[in-house]
Amino acid sequence: MARKYLALMRLSWGLSLEYRAEGFIWLMTNLFNVIMLLVWLSISQAGPVNGFSSADFVAYYMIGLIVRQLTAAWSSWELSFAISEGRLSPQLLRPIHPIHQEITVNWSEKVLRMILLLPIVVAVLILTPGVSLHVTPASLLAFAISVAGAWAIYFLADYCVGILAFWTTQATAFSNVLYGLKIVLGGILAPIQMFPPAIQSLLEWLPFKYMLAFSSEIALGQATGERLLFGLAAQWAWVLALWLLMRGLWRLGIRSYGAVGA
Amino acid sequence: MAHQIEVERLSKHYQVHEKEPGLAGSLRAFFARKYRVVKAVEAVSFNIDAGEMVGFLGPNGAGKTTTLKVLSGLLYPTSGRANVLGFTPHRRQNEYLKQFTLVMGQKQQLMWDLPPMETFLVNQAIYEVPRADFQAILKELDDLLELGPLLKKQVRKLSLGERMKCELAAALLHRPKVLFLDEPTIGLDVTMQARIRDFIAEYNRRHGATVILTSHYMADVTALCDRIIVIDKGRLLYDGNFRALIERVAPYKVLKLQFEQQPDLSALAQFGAVARADGLTAVLHVPRAHAADTAARLLSQIEVDDINFEEPAVEDIVRQVFAGKVDGLSPEVESA
Repeated sequence: MARKYLALMRLSWGLSLEYRAEGFIWLMTNLFNVIMLLVWLSISQAGPVNGFSSADFVAYYMIGLIVRQLTAAWSSWELSFAISEGRLSPQLLRPIHPIHQEITVNWSEKVLRMILLLPIVVAVLILTPGVSLHVTPASLLAFAISVAGAWAIYFLADYCVGILAFWTTQATAFSNVLYGLKIVLGGILAPIQMFPPAIQSLLEWLPFKYMLAFSSEIALGQATGERLLFGLAAQWAWVLALWLLMRGLWRLGIRSYGAVGA
Repeated sequence: MAHQIEVERLSKHYQVHEKEPGLAGSLRAFFARKYRVVKAVEAVSFNIDAGEMVGFLGPNGAGKTTTLKVLSGLLYPTSGRANVLGFTPHRRQNEYLKQFTLVMGQKQQLMWDLPPMETFLVNQAIYEVPRADFQAILKELDDLLELGPLLKKQVRKLSLGERMKCELAAALLHRPKVLFLDEPTIGLDVTMQARIRDFIAEYNRRHGATVILTSHYMADVTALCDRIIVIDKGRLLYDGNFRALIERVAPYKVLKLQFEQQPDLSALAQFGAVARADGLTAVLHVPRAHAADTAARLLSQIEVDDINFEEPAVEDIVRQVFAGKVDGLSPEVESA
Protein backbone atom coordinates (compact mmCIF):
# COMPACT_ATOMS: atom_id res chain seq x y z
CA MET A 1 0.00 0.00 0.00
CA ALA A 2 2.90 2.34 0.77
CA ARG A 3 4.21 1.90 -2.77
CA LYS A 4 0.76 2.54 -4.22
CA TYR A 5 0.46 5.71 -2.16
CA LEU A 6 3.88 6.87 -3.25
CA ALA A 7 2.91 6.44 -6.90
CA LEU A 8 -0.42 8.21 -6.40
CA MET A 9 1.34 11.01 -4.50
CA ARG A 10 3.75 11.44 -7.41
CA LEU A 11 0.85 11.74 -9.82
CA SER A 12 -1.09 14.13 -7.59
CA TRP A 13 1.96 16.26 -7.02
CA GLY A 14 2.40 16.49 -10.78
CA LEU A 15 -1.21 17.64 -11.07
CA SER A 16 -0.81 20.17 -8.26
CA LEU A 17 2.16 21.70 -10.01
CA GLU A 18 0.21 21.71 -13.25
CA TYR A 19 -2.65 23.56 -11.57
CA ARG A 20 -0.53 25.63 -9.14
CA ALA A 21 -2.18 28.92 -10.05
CA GLU A 22 -5.52 27.48 -9.00
CA GLY A 23 -4.06 26.48 -5.64
CA PHE A 24 -2.93 30.03 -4.96
CA ILE A 25 -6.34 31.39 -5.89
CA TRP A 26 -8.01 29.03 -3.43
CA LEU A 27 -5.72 30.40 -0.75
CA MET A 28 -7.50 33.72 -1.18
CA THR A 29 -10.68 32.20 0.26
CA ASN A 30 -8.92 32.52 3.60
CA LEU A 31 -9.53 36.23 3.48
CA PHE A 32 -12.60 35.42 5.54
CA ASN A 33 -10.36 34.37 8.43
CA VAL A 34 -8.54 37.67 8.21
CA ILE A 35 -11.77 39.65 8.07
CA MET A 36 -13.15 37.89 11.15
CA LEU A 37 -9.86 38.54 12.91
CA LEU A 38 -10.18 42.26 12.16
CA VAL A 39 -13.76 42.26 13.41
CA TRP A 40 -12.78 40.63 16.70
CA LEU A 41 -9.75 42.89 17.06
CA SER A 42 -11.94 45.97 16.90
CA ILE A 43 -14.35 44.45 19.43
CA SER A 44 -11.54 43.50 21.83
CA GLN A 45 -9.92 46.94 21.74
CA ALA A 46 -11.85 47.95 24.87
CA GLY A 47 -10.64 44.88 26.73
CA PRO A 48 -10.68 41.05 26.61
CA VAL A 49 -13.87 39.38 25.29
CA ASN A 50 -14.81 36.18 27.14
CA GLY A 51 -11.17 35.83 28.19
CA PHE A 52 -9.76 36.53 24.69
CA SER A 53 -7.31 39.44 24.46
CA SER A 54 -6.44 41.04 21.12
CA ALA A 55 -3.22 38.98 21.02
CA ASP A 56 -5.26 35.82 21.69
CA PHE A 57 -7.50 36.61 18.72
CA VAL A 58 -4.42 37.06 16.51
CA ALA A 59 -2.99 33.73 17.70
CA TYR A 60 -6.38 31.99 17.38
CA TYR A 61 -7.04 33.13 13.83
CA MET A 62 -3.47 32.65 12.62
CA ILE A 63 -3.33 29.08 13.92
CA GLY A 64 -6.87 28.68 12.58
CA LEU A 65 -5.63 29.70 9.15
CA ILE A 66 -3.06 26.91 9.17
CA VAL A 67 -5.51 24.34 10.49
CA ARG A 68 -8.13 25.38 7.97
CA GLN A 69 -5.70 25.02 5.11
CA LEU A 70 -4.41 21.67 6.35
CA THR A 71 -7.93 20.30 6.77
CA ALA A 72 -9.58 21.70 3.66
CA ALA A 73 -11.33 19.07 1.51
CA TRP A 74 -13.26 19.39 -1.72
CA SER A 75 -13.36 15.88 -3.14
CA SER A 76 -17.18 15.80 -3.07
CA TRP A 77 -17.13 18.02 -6.16
CA GLU A 78 -14.80 15.80 -8.10
CA LEU A 79 -16.54 12.63 -6.94
CA SER A 80 -20.08 13.78 -7.70
CA PHE A 81 -19.11 14.96 -11.19
CA ALA A 82 -17.25 11.70 -11.77
CA ILE A 83 -20.35 9.76 -10.77
CA SER A 84 -22.89 11.77 -12.74
CA GLU A 85 -20.74 11.90 -15.88
CA GLY A 86 -19.61 8.27 -15.67
CA ARG A 87 -15.96 9.26 -15.30
CA LEU A 88 -15.76 7.12 -12.19
CA SER A 89 -15.74 3.97 -14.33
CA PRO A 90 -11.99 3.87 -15.10
CA GLN A 91 -11.26 4.40 -11.41
CA LEU A 92 -13.58 1.57 -10.41
CA LEU A 93 -11.72 -0.79 -12.69
CA ARG A 94 -8.48 -0.38 -10.76
CA PRO A 95 -7.71 -2.59 -7.76
CA ILE A 96 -7.65 0.36 -5.36
CA HIS A 97 -10.53 2.35 -3.88
CA PRO A 98 -11.01 5.71 -5.67
CA ILE A 99 -10.85 7.52 -2.32
CA HIS A 100 -7.08 6.96 -2.18
CA GLN A 101 -6.42 9.05 -5.26
CA GLU A 102 -8.57 11.84 -3.79
CA ILE A 103 -6.60 11.64 -0.54
CA THR A 104 -3.27 12.07 -2.31
CA VAL A 105 -4.62 14.93 -4.43
CA ASN A 106 -5.75 16.56 -1.20
CA TRP A 107 -2.38 16.13 0.48
CA SER A 108 -0.25 17.33 -2.38
CA GLU A 109 -2.31 20.51 -2.71
CA LYS A 110 -1.52 21.24 0.93
CA VAL A 111 2.22 21.13 0.42
CA LEU A 112 2.01 23.98 -2.06
CA ARG A 113 -0.32 26.06 0.07
CA MET A 114 1.81 25.62 3.20
CA ILE A 115 4.89 26.82 1.37
CA LEU A 116 3.11 30.10 0.76
CA LEU A 117 1.14 30.40 3.98
CA LEU A 118 3.49 29.25 6.74
CA PRO A 119 6.04 32.11 6.49
CA ILE A 120 3.25 34.72 6.64
CA VAL A 121 1.62 33.16 9.69
CA VAL A 122 4.92 32.72 11.53
CA ALA A 123 5.88 36.34 10.82
CA VAL A 124 2.54 37.65 12.10
CA LEU A 125 2.79 35.54 15.28
CA ILE A 126 6.33 36.77 15.98
CA LEU A 127 5.64 40.43 15.22
CA THR A 128 2.43 40.68 17.27
CA PRO A 129 3.24 41.65 20.86
CA GLY A 130 1.73 39.55 23.63
CA VAL A 131 1.07 36.39 21.61
CA SER A 132 1.62 33.32 23.75
CA LEU A 133 1.36 29.80 22.41
CA HIS A 134 1.28 26.66 24.49
CA VAL A 135 4.33 24.79 23.18
CA THR A 136 5.42 21.60 24.93
CA PRO A 137 6.28 18.22 23.36
CA ALA A 138 2.95 16.87 24.63
CA SER A 139 0.91 19.79 23.31
CA LEU A 140 2.65 19.63 19.94
CA LEU A 141 1.82 15.94 19.70
CA ALA A 142 -1.78 16.60 20.74
CA PHE A 143 -1.98 19.41 18.16
CA ALA A 144 -0.69 17.12 15.42
CA ILE A 145 -3.16 14.35 16.34
CA SER A 146 -6.02 16.85 16.45
CA VAL A 147 -5.13 18.30 13.04
CA ALA A 148 -5.01 14.78 11.58
CA GLY A 149 -8.39 14.10 13.18
CA ALA A 150 -9.82 17.39 11.92
CA TRP A 151 -8.64 16.58 8.42
CA ALA A 152 -10.14 13.07 8.58
CA ILE A 153 -13.52 14.30 9.87
CA TYR A 154 -13.97 16.94 7.21
CA PHE A 155 -12.52 14.84 4.40
CA LEU A 156 -14.77 11.87 5.22
CA ALA A 157 -17.88 14.01 5.73
CA ASP A 158 -17.20 15.73 2.42
CA TYR A 159 -16.58 12.40 0.67
CA CYS A 160 -19.90 11.09 2.04
CA VAL A 161 -21.57 14.12 0.45
CA GLY A 162 -19.92 13.21 -2.85
CA ILE A 163 -21.21 9.64 -2.56
CA LEU A 164 -24.77 11.02 -2.47
CA ALA A 165 -24.31 11.68 -6.19
CA PHE A 166 -25.07 8.00 -6.72
CA TRP A 167 -28.68 8.92 -5.93
CA THR A 168 -29.03 12.62 -6.66
CA THR A 169 -27.52 14.99 -9.17
CA GLN A 170 -27.62 17.80 -6.57
CA ALA A 171 -25.07 16.34 -4.15
CA THR A 172 -22.78 19.39 -4.25
CA ALA A 173 -25.55 21.49 -2.68
CA PHE A 174 -24.98 19.47 0.49
CA SER A 175 -21.27 20.19 0.41
CA ASN A 176 -22.10 23.89 0.68
CA VAL A 177 -24.23 23.12 3.74
CA LEU A 178 -21.36 21.19 5.29
CA TYR A 179 -18.95 24.03 4.57
CA GLY A 180 -21.36 26.57 6.10
CA LEU A 181 -21.69 24.50 9.27
CA LYS A 182 -17.90 24.35 9.54
CA ILE A 183 -17.60 28.13 9.19
CA VAL A 184 -20.30 28.90 11.78
CA LEU A 185 -19.97 26.04 14.28
CA GLY A 186 -16.35 25.08 13.62
CA GLY A 187 -14.85 28.24 15.06
CA ILE A 188 -14.14 30.44 12.04
CA LEU A 189 -16.95 32.95 12.52
CA ALA A 190 -16.10 33.13 16.23
CA PRO A 191 -14.12 31.07 18.72
CA ILE A 192 -16.36 28.52 20.44
CA GLN A 193 -15.91 30.41 23.75
CA MET A 194 -17.97 33.28 22.32
CA PHE A 195 -21.10 31.08 22.13
CA PRO A 196 -23.59 30.78 25.04
CA PRO A 197 -22.56 28.02 27.49
CA ALA A 198 -25.48 25.77 26.50
CA ILE A 199 -24.42 25.83 22.84
CA GLN A 200 -20.81 25.32 23.85
CA SER A 201 -21.60 22.11 25.71
CA LEU A 202 -23.74 20.89 22.81
CA LEU A 203 -20.84 21.54 20.42
CA GLU A 204 -18.62 19.28 22.54
CA TRP A 205 -20.63 16.37 21.17
CA LEU A 206 -21.00 17.45 17.54
CA PRO A 207 -18.29 17.00 14.91
CA PHE A 208 -18.00 20.65 13.77
CA LYS A 209 -15.79 21.95 16.54
CA TYR A 210 -13.38 19.11 15.88
CA MET A 211 -13.03 20.21 12.27
CA LEU A 212 -11.07 23.28 13.32
CA ALA A 213 -11.53 25.16 16.63
CA PHE A 214 -10.35 22.29 18.81
CA SER A 215 -6.85 22.33 17.29
CA SER A 216 -6.53 26.09 17.78
CA GLU A 217 -7.62 25.70 21.39
CA ILE A 218 -4.83 23.17 21.94
CA ALA A 219 -2.26 25.53 20.45
CA LEU A 220 -3.46 28.37 22.66
CA GLY A 221 -3.33 26.19 25.78
CA GLN A 222 -7.10 26.41 26.28
CA ALA A 223 -7.64 22.67 25.99
CA THR A 224 -5.46 20.76 28.42
CA GLY A 225 -5.76 17.81 30.79
CA GLU A 226 -9.17 16.18 30.91
CA ARG A 227 -10.63 18.65 28.42
CA LEU A 228 -7.93 17.71 25.94
CA LEU A 229 -8.40 13.98 26.38
CA PHE A 230 -12.19 14.22 26.08
CA GLY A 231 -11.78 16.30 22.93
CA LEU A 232 -9.39 13.87 21.29
CA ALA A 233 -11.62 10.92 22.19
CA ALA A 234 -14.73 12.66 20.83
CA GLN A 235 -12.89 13.72 17.70
CA TRP A 236 -11.57 10.27 16.84
CA ALA A 237 -14.92 8.69 17.66
CA TRP A 238 -16.34 10.96 14.95
CA VAL A 239 -13.55 9.90 12.58
CA LEU A 240 -14.46 6.28 13.13
CA ALA A 241 -18.20 6.94 12.78
CA LEU A 242 -17.75 8.87 9.54
CA TRP A 243 -15.42 6.22 8.16
CA LEU A 244 -18.05 3.56 8.80
CA LEU A 245 -20.73 5.81 7.31
CA MET A 246 -18.57 6.37 4.23
CA ARG A 247 -18.04 2.63 3.72
CA GLY A 248 -21.73 1.88 4.19
CA LEU A 249 -22.87 4.62 1.81
CA TRP A 250 -20.29 3.55 -0.75
CA ARG A 251 -21.40 -0.05 -0.67
CA LEU A 252 -25.01 0.96 -1.21
CA GLY A 253 -24.24 3.64 -3.75
CA ILE A 254 -22.09 1.51 -5.98
CA ARG A 255 -25.10 -0.75 -6.59
CA SER A 256 -26.99 2.06 -8.20
CA TYR A 257 -24.04 3.35 -10.20
CA GLY A 258 -25.16 3.79 -13.78
CA ALA A 259 -21.72 3.98 -15.46
CA VAL A 260 -23.32 6.36 -17.93
CA GLY A 261 -21.73 7.26 -21.23
CA ALA A 262 -20.34 4.85 -23.74
CA MET B 1 -14.98 -24.09 -13.89
CA ALA B 2 -15.95 -25.15 -17.35
CA HIS B 3 -15.61 -21.85 -19.20
CA GLN B 4 -13.57 -18.72 -18.58
CA ILE B 5 -16.61 -16.48 -19.01
CA GLU B 6 -20.05 -17.74 -18.10
CA VAL B 7 -23.18 -15.65 -18.49
CA GLU B 8 -26.52 -17.11 -17.56
CA ARG B 9 -29.86 -15.39 -18.15
CA LEU B 10 -28.24 -12.06 -17.38
CA SER B 11 -30.54 -9.05 -17.23
CA LYS B 12 -29.93 -5.39 -16.54
CA HIS B 13 -32.88 -3.03 -16.29
CA TYR B 14 -32.59 0.70 -15.75
CA GLN B 15 -35.23 2.93 -14.33
CA VAL B 16 -35.26 6.20 -16.19
CA HIS B 17 -37.55 9.15 -15.70
CA GLU B 18 -39.05 10.95 -18.60
CA LYS B 19 -39.57 14.65 -18.98
CA GLU B 20 -41.55 16.52 -21.58
CA PRO B 21 -39.55 19.37 -23.06
CA GLY B 22 -40.07 22.91 -21.84
CA LEU B 23 -41.09 24.59 -18.62
CA ALA B 24 -44.47 22.91 -18.32
CA GLY B 25 -42.76 19.57 -18.77
CA SER B 26 -40.25 20.41 -16.06
CA LEU B 27 -43.02 21.33 -13.63
CA ARG B 28 -44.95 18.18 -14.39
CA ALA B 29 -41.80 16.10 -13.97
CA PHE B 30 -41.12 17.80 -10.65
CA PHE B 31 -44.48 16.92 -9.13
CA ALA B 32 -45.25 13.63 -10.80
CA ARG B 33 -42.25 11.85 -12.16
CA LYS B 34 -42.96 9.35 -14.86
CA TYR B 35 -40.70 6.35 -14.65
CA ARG B 36 -40.04 3.83 -17.33
CA VAL B 37 -38.02 0.66 -17.12
CA VAL B 38 -35.49 0.16 -19.88
CA LYS B 39 -34.46 -3.42 -20.40
CA ALA B 40 -30.89 -2.85 -21.55
CA VAL B 41 -30.02 -6.53 -21.33
CA GLU B 42 -32.65 -9.24 -21.08
CA ALA B 43 -31.92 -12.87 -20.19
CA VAL B 44 -28.72 -13.15 -22.18
CA SER B 45 -26.69 -16.36 -21.88
CA PHE B 46 -23.38 -17.38 -23.40
CA ASN B 47 -20.08 -19.01 -22.51
CA ILE B 48 -16.62 -18.08 -23.72
CA ASP B 49 -13.47 -20.17 -23.40
CA ALA B 50 -9.96 -19.02 -22.71
CA GLY B 51 -8.22 -17.53 -25.71
CA GLU B 52 -11.37 -17.00 -27.77
CA MET B 53 -11.97 -13.77 -29.68
CA VAL B 54 -15.64 -12.97 -29.80
CA GLY B 55 -17.30 -10.08 -31.60
CA PHE B 56 -20.36 -8.41 -30.09
CA LEU B 57 -22.57 -7.02 -32.82
CA GLY B 58 -25.67 -4.94 -32.48
CA PRO B 59 -27.02 -1.50 -33.34
CA ASN B 60 -26.68 1.45 -30.94
CA GLY B 61 -28.45 0.78 -27.68
CA ALA B 62 -28.54 -2.96 -28.24
CA GLY B 63 -27.01 -3.76 -24.87
CA LYS B 64 -23.45 -4.56 -25.90
CA THR B 65 -21.76 -1.98 -23.71
CA THR B 66 -24.09 -2.70 -20.79
CA THR B 67 -23.12 -6.37 -20.98
CA LEU B 68 -19.43 -5.47 -20.93
CA LYS B 69 -19.99 -3.13 -17.97
CA VAL B 70 -21.70 -5.90 -16.02
CA LEU B 71 -18.84 -8.27 -16.84
CA SER B 72 -16.37 -5.60 -15.67
CA GLY B 73 -18.19 -5.18 -12.37
CA LEU B 74 -19.20 -1.58 -13.05
CA LEU B 75 -22.89 -2.44 -13.01
CA TYR B 76 -24.93 -4.68 -10.75
CA PRO B 77 -27.01 -7.09 -12.79
CA THR B 78 -30.76 -6.93 -12.18
CA SER B 79 -30.97 -10.70 -12.37
CA GLY B 80 -29.09 -13.65 -13.72
CA ARG B 81 -25.52 -14.70 -13.19
CA ALA B 82 -22.13 -13.75 -14.55
CA ASN B 83 -18.85 -15.44 -13.78
CA VAL B 84 -15.47 -14.46 -15.19
CA LEU B 85 -12.28 -16.30 -14.25
CA GLY B 86 -14.18 -17.79 -11.32
CA PHE B 87 -15.17 -14.37 -9.95
CA THR B 88 -18.51 -12.66 -9.66
CA PRO B 89 -17.71 -9.36 -11.40
CA HIS B 90 -19.88 -6.95 -9.37
CA ARG B 91 -18.13 -7.96 -6.16
CA ARG B 92 -15.07 -6.24 -7.62
CA GLN B 93 -12.45 -8.16 -5.68
CA ASN B 94 -8.93 -6.88 -6.27
CA GLU B 95 -7.78 -10.31 -7.48
CA TYR B 96 -10.40 -10.09 -10.21
CA LEU B 97 -9.70 -6.46 -11.14
CA LYS B 98 -6.05 -7.38 -11.68
CA GLN B 99 -6.88 -9.97 -14.33
CA PHE B 100 -8.99 -8.19 -16.87
CA THR B 101 -9.20 -4.87 -18.59
CA LEU B 102 -11.95 -2.79 -20.12
CA VAL B 103 -11.05 -0.35 -22.86
CA MET B 104 -13.76 2.10 -23.81
CA GLY B 105 -13.10 3.99 -27.01
CA GLN B 106 -15.05 6.94 -25.68
CA LYS B 107 -13.81 6.98 -22.09
CA GLN B 108 -10.27 7.40 -20.99
CA GLN B 109 -8.22 6.49 -17.98
CA LEU B 110 -5.12 8.52 -18.90
CA MET B 111 -4.70 11.70 -16.89
CA TRP B 112 -5.59 14.47 -19.31
CA ASP B 113 -2.99 17.02 -18.24
CA LEU B 114 -0.03 14.72 -17.66
CA PRO B 115 2.05 12.58 -20.04
CA PRO B 116 0.87 8.94 -20.47
CA MET B 117 4.00 7.65 -18.73
CA GLU B 118 2.69 9.11 -15.44
CA THR B 119 -0.46 7.02 -15.67
CA PHE B 120 1.62 3.99 -16.66
CA LEU B 121 3.80 4.31 -13.54
CA VAL B 122 0.77 4.66 -11.30
CA ASN B 123 -0.77 1.57 -12.88
CA GLN B 124 2.47 -0.30 -12.32
CA ALA B 125 2.25 0.44 -8.60
CA ILE B 126 -1.49 -0.11 -8.27
CA TYR B 127 -1.49 -3.41 -10.14
CA GLU B 128 1.71 -4.38 -8.33
CA VAL B 129 3.66 -5.19 -11.49
CA PRO B 130 7.31 -5.95 -10.63
CA ARG B 131 9.74 -3.46 -12.15
CA ALA B 132 11.44 -5.98 -14.46
CA ASP B 133 8.09 -7.23 -15.79
CA PHE B 134 6.92 -3.66 -16.26
CA GLN B 135 9.99 -2.83 -18.35
CA ALA B 136 9.53 -5.94 -20.47
CA ILE B 137 5.81 -5.36 -21.00
CA LEU B 138 6.35 -1.71 -21.82
CA LYS B 139 9.04 -2.62 -24.33
CA GLU B 140 6.77 -5.14 -26.01
CA LEU B 141 3.90 -2.64 -26.19
CA ASP B 142 6.32 -0.05 -27.53
CA ASP B 143 7.44 -2.45 -30.28
CA LEU B 144 3.89 -3.27 -31.29
CA LEU B 145 2.37 0.20 -30.98
CA GLU B 146 5.38 2.51 -31.47
CA LEU B 147 4.70 4.53 -28.37
CA GLY B 148 8.21 5.96 -28.00
CA PRO B 149 7.77 9.67 -28.65
CA LEU B 150 4.26 9.77 -27.20
CA LEU B 151 5.07 8.73 -23.66
CA LYS B 152 6.38 12.09 -22.53
CA LYS B 153 3.85 14.33 -24.26
CA GLN B 154 0.85 15.68 -22.40
CA VAL B 155 -2.17 13.49 -23.13
CA ARG B 156 -4.28 16.44 -24.22
CA LYS B 157 -1.74 17.20 -26.94
CA LEU B 158 -1.93 13.70 -28.47
CA SER B 159 -4.04 13.00 -31.53
CA LEU B 160 -7.02 10.69 -31.15
CA GLY B 161 -5.13 7.77 -32.66
CA GLU B 162 -2.05 8.38 -30.53
CA ARG B 163 -4.20 8.60 -27.44
CA MET B 164 -5.96 5.34 -28.25
CA LYS B 165 -2.61 3.59 -28.60
CA CYS B 166 -1.61 4.88 -25.17
CA GLU B 167 -5.00 3.95 -23.71
CA LEU B 168 -4.54 0.39 -24.94
CA ALA B 169 -1.03 0.27 -23.52
CA ALA B 170 -2.20 1.61 -20.14
CA ALA B 171 -4.93 -1.02 -20.10
CA LEU B 172 -2.52 -3.87 -20.80
CA LEU B 173 0.40 -3.08 -18.47
CA HIS B 174 -0.85 -5.57 -15.89
CA ARG B 175 -1.06 -8.21 -18.65
CA PRO B 176 -4.75 -9.05 -18.24
CA LYS B 177 -6.07 -12.46 -19.22
CA VAL B 178 -9.39 -11.09 -20.39
CA LEU B 179 -9.85 -8.02 -22.58
CA PHE B 180 -13.19 -6.25 -22.93
CA LEU B 181 -12.82 -3.84 -25.82
CA ASP B 182 -15.72 -1.47 -26.37
CA GLU B 183 -15.38 0.34 -29.68
CA PRO B 184 -11.59 0.50 -29.47
CA THR B 185 -11.30 1.92 -33.00
CA ILE B 186 -14.06 4.50 -32.87
CA GLY B 187 -13.22 7.73 -34.64
CA LEU B 188 -9.90 6.44 -35.97
CA ASP B 189 -8.87 6.57 -39.60
CA VAL B 190 -8.64 3.39 -41.64
CA THR B 191 -4.88 2.99 -41.23
CA MET B 192 -4.99 3.42 -37.49
CA GLN B 193 -7.97 1.06 -37.26
CA ALA B 194 -5.93 -1.58 -39.03
CA ARG B 195 -2.96 -0.95 -36.71
CA ILE B 196 -5.09 -1.42 -33.60
CA ARG B 197 -6.73 -4.49 -35.13
CA ASP B 198 -3.37 -6.11 -35.92
CA PHE B 199 -2.21 -5.31 -32.42
CA ILE B 200 -5.21 -7.00 -30.82
CA ALA B 201 -4.74 -10.09 -32.98
CA GLU B 202 -1.04 -10.22 -32.13
CA TYR B 203 -1.72 -9.76 -28.42
CA ASN B 204 -4.24 -12.59 -28.46
CA ARG B 205 -1.80 -14.84 -30.34
CA ARG B 206 1.15 -14.13 -28.04
CA HIS B 207 -0.58 -14.26 -24.68
CA GLY B 208 -3.65 -16.38 -25.31
CA ALA B 209 -5.83 -13.60 -23.94
CA THR B 210 -9.58 -13.85 -24.25
CA VAL B 211 -11.11 -10.93 -26.14
CA ILE B 212 -14.65 -9.64 -26.35
CA LEU B 213 -14.85 -6.87 -28.91
CA THR B 214 -17.66 -4.52 -29.83
CA SER B 215 -17.35 -2.38 -32.88
CA HIS B 216 -19.41 -0.50 -35.37
CA TYR B 217 -16.77 -1.21 -37.96
CA MET B 218 -17.59 -4.56 -39.42
CA ALA B 219 -14.00 -4.88 -40.64
CA ASP B 220 -12.79 -5.08 -37.03
CA VAL B 221 -15.06 -7.98 -36.34
CA THR B 222 -14.50 -9.87 -39.59
CA ALA B 223 -10.73 -9.55 -39.23
CA LEU B 224 -10.55 -10.66 -35.61
CA CYS B 225 -13.43 -12.85 -34.61
CA ASP B 226 -14.46 -16.30 -35.77
CA ARG B 227 -17.35 -16.21 -33.40
CA ILE B 228 -19.95 -13.48 -33.07
CA ILE B 229 -22.74 -12.78 -30.68
CA VAL B 230 -25.52 -10.63 -32.09
CA ILE B 231 -27.59 -8.63 -29.62
CA ASP B 232 -30.50 -6.33 -30.28
CA LYS B 233 -32.87 -4.63 -27.83
CA GLY B 234 -31.13 -6.47 -25.00
CA ARG B 235 -31.81 -9.90 -26.45
CA LEU B 236 -29.41 -12.39 -27.91
CA LEU B 237 -30.21 -13.05 -31.56
CA TYR B 238 -27.32 -15.21 -32.65
CA ASP B 239 -24.30 -16.84 -31.09
CA GLY B 240 -22.01 -18.85 -33.24
CA ASN B 241 -19.58 -19.02 -36.09
CA PHE B 242 -19.43 -15.95 -38.28
CA ARG B 243 -18.97 -17.88 -41.55
CA ALA B 244 -21.85 -20.19 -40.67
CA LEU B 245 -24.10 -17.18 -40.20
CA ILE B 246 -23.06 -15.72 -43.51
CA GLU B 247 -23.68 -18.96 -45.34
CA ARG B 248 -27.04 -19.29 -43.69
CA VAL B 249 -28.29 -15.77 -44.26
CA ALA B 250 -26.63 -15.38 -47.62
CA PRO B 251 -26.26 -18.80 -49.24
CA TYR B 252 -24.96 -17.13 -52.38
CA LYS B 253 -21.93 -15.37 -53.73
CA VAL B 254 -22.09 -12.05 -55.44
CA LEU B 255 -21.09 -12.18 -59.09
CA LYS B 256 -20.21 -8.82 -60.59
CA LEU B 257 -20.20 -8.59 -64.35
CA GLN B 258 -19.02 -5.95 -66.78
CA PHE B 259 -20.12 -6.12 -70.43
CA GLU B 260 -18.99 -4.54 -73.65
CA GLN B 261 -22.53 -4.29 -74.89
CA GLN B 262 -25.92 -4.36 -73.22
CA PRO B 263 -26.65 -7.99 -72.20
CA ASP B 264 -29.93 -9.81 -72.51
CA LEU B 265 -31.43 -9.82 -69.03
CA SER B 266 -33.51 -12.93 -69.48
CA ALA B 267 -30.38 -14.75 -70.59
CA LEU B 268 -28.63 -13.62 -67.41
CA ALA B 269 -31.46 -14.76 -65.15
CA GLN B 270 -30.82 -18.44 -65.90
CA PHE B 271 -27.47 -18.20 -64.10
CA GLY B 272 -28.74 -16.68 -60.87
CA ALA B 273 -30.96 -14.04 -59.29
CA VAL B 274 -30.35 -10.65 -60.89
CA ALA B 275 -29.82 -8.25 -58.01
CA ARG B 276 -29.02 -5.27 -60.18
CA ALA B 277 -28.60 -4.59 -63.85
CA ASP B 278 -27.99 -1.16 -65.32
CA GLY B 279 -26.43 -0.58 -68.68
CA LEU B 280 -23.17 -2.42 -68.98
CA THR B 281 -22.95 -3.78 -65.45
CA ALA B 282 -24.94 -6.44 -63.63
CA VAL B 283 -24.87 -8.10 -60.24
CA LEU B 284 -26.03 -11.70 -59.81
CA HIS B 285 -26.56 -13.77 -56.69
CA VAL B 286 -25.28 -17.24 -57.45
CA PRO B 287 -25.77 -20.23 -55.13
CA ARG B 288 -22.57 -20.84 -53.21
CA ALA B 289 -22.26 -24.51 -54.10
CA HIS B 290 -22.46 -23.87 -57.84
CA ALA B 291 -20.52 -20.64 -58.01
CA ALA B 292 -17.56 -21.91 -60.03
CA ASP B 293 -19.38 -23.94 -62.68
CA THR B 294 -22.07 -21.26 -63.03
CA ALA B 295 -19.34 -18.77 -63.83
CA ALA B 296 -17.78 -21.15 -66.31
CA ARG B 297 -21.13 -21.71 -68.05
CA LEU B 298 -21.82 -18.02 -68.14
CA LEU B 299 -18.46 -17.21 -69.67
CA SER B 300 -18.98 -19.79 -72.39
CA GLN B 301 -22.41 -18.37 -73.35
CA ILE B 302 -22.22 -14.62 -72.88
CA GLU B 303 -19.64 -12.09 -74.00
CA VAL B 304 -18.20 -10.65 -70.77
CA ASP B 305 -15.63 -7.91 -70.37
CA ASP B 306 -14.87 -8.51 -66.71
CA ILE B 307 -16.08 -10.97 -64.08
CA ASN B 308 -15.64 -10.85 -60.33
CA PHE B 309 -16.78 -12.91 -57.36
CA GLU B 310 -17.39 -11.25 -54.01
CA GLU B 311 -18.69 -12.25 -50.61
CA PRO B 312 -21.99 -10.63 -49.67
CA ALA B 313 -21.46 -7.43 -47.68
CA VAL B 314 -21.37 -8.29 -44.01
CA GLU B 315 -23.29 -5.14 -43.15
CA ASP B 316 -26.21 -6.34 -45.26
CA ILE B 317 -26.19 -9.71 -43.56
CA VAL B 318 -26.14 -8.28 -40.08
CA ARG B 319 -28.85 -5.82 -41.02
CA GLN B 320 -31.01 -8.78 -42.06
CA VAL B 321 -30.37 -10.45 -38.71
CA PHE B 322 -31.32 -7.28 -36.84
CA ALA B 323 -34.43 -6.84 -38.91
CA GLY B 324 -35.57 -10.27 -37.74
CA LYS B 325 -35.66 -11.49 -41.33
CA VAL B 326 -33.67 -14.57 -40.46
CA ASP B 327 -35.81 -17.28 -38.96
CA GLY B 328 -34.78 -20.16 -36.85
CA LEU B 329 -31.75 -18.57 -35.22
CA SER B 330 -31.81 -20.26 -31.88
CA PRO B 331 -28.85 -19.00 -29.93
CA GLU B 332 -29.46 -21.17 -26.89
CA VAL B 333 -28.61 -24.26 -28.90
CA GLU B 334 -25.08 -23.22 -29.72
CA SER B 335 -24.18 -21.69 -26.40
CA ALA B 336 -25.54 -24.59 -24.37
